[in-house]
Amino acid sequence: MPREIAPGIHWIYEAGPDRTESWDLADRNPEWYEAGREAYVPQCAYLIDGSDETLLFDTLSPASTDHILAAIDDLVGDRGLDYLVVSHPDVPHAGNALAILEEHPETTLVAPGYGNDHELYQLDDGIHVTEGDEIDLGERVVEFHEATFLDAPVSVWMTERETETLFPVDWMGFIHLDDEKLAFVDELAGEFDASRLVEFHGRVLFWYQYIDVEKTNAEIDNLVEKFDPEILAPAHGLVIREDATDYMELMKNVTRTIDDQGRIGTLG
Amino acid sequence: MTVQVTPTVEWLTQCYDHEGSHEHVSLYLLRAPEGTVLVDSGSFYHREAITEAVDEATDGAGPDALVLSHSDYPHAANVSPLGGDTEDVELVASSASPAQQGLPDARKCDIGGTMTVQGREFSFIDPPLADRSHTTWIYEHGDGVLFTADGFGNYHDPGQCDYLSGDFPDVTPAERVYEYHRDNLVWLRYVAPEKVERTLDDIFAEYNVAAVAPIHGNPIEADDLDTYRERLRDAMARIAAEHTVA
Repeated sequence: MPREIAPGIHWIYEAGPDRTESWDLADRNPEWYEAGREAYVPQCAYLIDGSDETLLFDTLSPASTDHILAAIDDLVGDRGLDYLVVSHPDVPHAGNALAILEEHPETTLVAPGYGNDHELYQLDDGIHVTEGDEIDLGERVVEFHEATFLDAPVSVWMTERETETLFPVDWMGFIHLDDEKLAFVDELAGEFDASRLVEFHGRVLFWYQYIDVEKTNAEIDNLVEKFDPEILAPAHGLVIREDATDYMELMKNVTRTIDDQGRIGTLG
Repeated sequence: MTVQVTPTVEWLTQCYDHEGSHEHVSLYLLRAPEGTVLVDSGSFYHREAITEAVDEATDGAGPDALVLSHSDYPHAANVSPLGGDTEDVELVASSASPAQQGLPDARKCDIGGTMTVQGREFSFIDPPLADRSHTTWIYEHGDGVLFTADGFGNYHDPGQCDYLSGDFPDVTPAERVYEYHRDNLVWLRYVAPEKVERTLDDIFAEYNVAAVAPIHGNPIEADDLDTYRERLRDAMARIAAEHTVA
């Protein structure tokens, strides 16, 4: 079941595989981990209902085709899905695009305007969006931004103006325990352990091991100033709805830690 | 078209046109002791040409194995058309969650590990240059070819589509190496290039590389590797320098 993170913004969640074994959590036993538990790096999509129009940001992975189609039906019903935004053409993010467009022929595909090989991803049709482009959904307005921290060149971030939500896609993902599924970070027991962010960025944003720390952290400062979000809705983590900029500031420690430790491991 | 790179590795080259400038979207065919192995499967965009080329290269038999660098669409779009979802073709992939990557069940290779496929030993290397997190570089221990997926690429002009590095007047052009990495490995803006260089040095010290086989570039022959690496180093430095943070 999706969870509403703010009026009109719905979080659709896919757990993915249990990472306990592949990330060697039982043996390494990081502080946030509890022995015997499962741990997940989720895949998240978000549906924005602006009352006039609806928009889905990302599609979940092909392992969850039925799940995303059912979630869309639950949330939009007969109103239909007006827009499907693909943050980038990575299979876990965009792998259900064709299935959704076939099920919802009324939907307009929205793709990043960055990069130069859209045809190779079947993203040449539809709307291409770049920094500052907006879609007015009625009571919600989304704006698109050049993705700052990314892997694929065909990428875009998004914000929602009324709720001040930032969708930073692959940035600010982190691992969580099994009973933390669809929990907000402020609902987690105890203080948030930043090593969860290190686990993710040290594996998934593989290039973090090579970064210029000063430059990257200066960019993070710019992101805090530019977006100053109330809510962070990442693609691979739990939603942050309190003290969002504090978590963005934490990422500067993450860059320093990965610079010290090197790559934590592969994604698996 | 098909170009011989080393005695047992052939380059099945396809190009994507960026308004007059070309980018390869290739795959490679390796003739291993026990069968044919494809490295990557190309894009749906070139599906017809690729399946015909593979059919011709294998005398209609098709491949015996398909090893994927990662599941990104230009690399994995023809897994099914090439039989990777059948028992006739052994599919090897690095992802621990093939369903999430849209792949059929695959024999999992561990990045950092080795595996024998069709009688040929392969090593799977954590890549310093990639555009997806589960990417693996692939070194085959027969001829010594290093398959570098999205790294070590370049754009090229029409007419240079079947060039090996030594076919250019002065090896793969520096500007084309820069342009490709600037456009496709955007995160290079944020790196300290010397850190990437150290990892590359380690890889080339460990593996005796006879040729580098990128998916998005002209293969680089051993004699040209130093020149190419120098140009890549300059490209990374330039990309990082050109992106200033206010």
